[in-house]
Amino acid sequence: MKMEEMSLSGLDNSKLEAIAQEIYADLVEDSCLGFCFEVHRAVKCGYFFLDDTDPDSMKDFEIVDQPGLDIFGQVFNQWKSKECVCPNCSRSIAASRFAPHLEKCLGMGRNSSRIANRRIANSNNMNKSESDQEDNDDINDNDWSYGSEKKGLWYLPFQNPNSPRRSKSLKHKNGFSVCTSASNTLPLLFSSSGELSNSDPFKYNNSTGISYETLGPEELRSLLTTQCGVISEHTKKMCTRSLRCPQHTDEQRRAVRIYFLGPSAVLPEVESSLDNDSFDMTDSQALISRLQWDGSSDLSPSDSGSSKTSENQGWGLGTNSSESRKTKKKKSHLSLVGTASGLGSNKKKKPKPPAPPTPSIYDDIN
Amino acid sequence: MVVSKMNKDAQMRAAINQKLIETGERERLKELLRAKLIECGWKDQLKAHCKEVIKEKGLEHVTVDDLVAEITPKGRVCSVFRYWTVHSNNELQIYFFRYLYLFLY
Repeated sequence: MKMEEMSLSGLDNSKLEAIAQEIYADLVEDSCLGFCFEVHRAVKCGYFFLDDTDPDSMKDFEIVDQPGLDIFGQVFNQWKSKECVCPNCSRSIAASRFAPHLEKCLGMGRNSSRIANRRIANSNNMNKSESDQEDNDDINDNDWSYGSEKKGLWYLPFQNPNSPRRSKSLKHKNGFSVCTSASNTLPLLFSSSGELSNSDPFKYNNSTGISYETLGPEELRSLLTTQCGVISEHTKKMCTRSLRCPQHTDEQRRAVRIYFLGPSAVLPEVESSLDNDSFDMTDSQALISRLQWDGSSDLSPSDSGSSKTSENQGWGLGTNSSESRKTKKKKSHLSLVGTASGLGSNKKKKPKPPAPPTPSIYDDIN
Repeated sequence: MVVSKMNKDAQMRAAINQKLIETGERERLKELLRAKLIECGWKDQLKAHCKEVIKEKGLEHVTVDDLVAEITPKGRVCSVFRYWTVHSNNELQIYFFRYLYLFLY
């Protein structure tokens, strides 16, 4: 072919390069032209300058390079010193504390409800008078209040010293109101027991967590029937664990009871074997107490006679034991009915009647 | 003789061009070139130049001819400079050569 001849003969690198260069130049020119057409169209349609910013904005957003500022020109700690006004309580709060404050203020956060419940529990306990015992009991029984949660945690191994029974007696015997919430009770009671141990460690002063003035003879007896009662050497307090608590032996318990209640006192634990004896104790005390209070006519003459000899309620155990054995069965119901003394086979918690004011009982015994 | 030689060259060039267009290679080469030019920033440089020209001339009165006359020479120069500095020219040349060799033999 003609063309091939031409190409074969005319081919050398320089020529080829020249041709290539020409082709390249043509292509570039075409591109330029194409570009021009694009620009012209953009100008005429009005979108050519659209992606530009005006010089004023350019100045506003210029990069800042001063010390102490970031590239936007903002100061670092600006928000720390600012104060916001709370819309709820209309107080001015620091900005960094604003969010937590708002949480508490509006009562919508996780912690705020807990704290509010605790405050309510505390204020209820502080303000409660004797007439409000019903409410107090409700709080005690309410498993979900913050106060009772705390109680449950702290008193897990022990009997709850704030159970309704105890709190009632506390309230009656105390001159001052006693807080039933655990958190408030503990420091109060510890302080009172501290005083007691200093003054007279061998009397009633050994508190179980109940303040000293409230421990009457019936109280002590009831405590000893339901609790271990062994006096700890360090704290000079009675152990509040159960009657079978592993920390103290039966000997210790017996010793404590003998110490407090006289030489014939029996451990409540031993009830199973010495049921009769303890029962009789209860009976005699019950009889005595009831005689003192309302002159019960249920008592048999023998018992009333024996009770008269003792002339006090609840503590004349030694004298009455022999006589009261006879009347054990008759008087069983008495022991069940509203006696202050809890000693005996009854491990049930009996409702305590209002105790008569007898501060001199212990003196009489001695 | 010289005239014929020149004619031969012209003829050869014309033939090559024609062949390029026919097979569609020219379009492909054109797209390739455009991509390369954008990549190396040639287009942005030309655009800035355009803006200056338009601001001079006034937005409403710009014509295509004005633009072409102003921009094309600059574009040519820029492209050569850019293309030679950013990419080696060998790429395109080698491509051309290879094609031409294939095409012509």
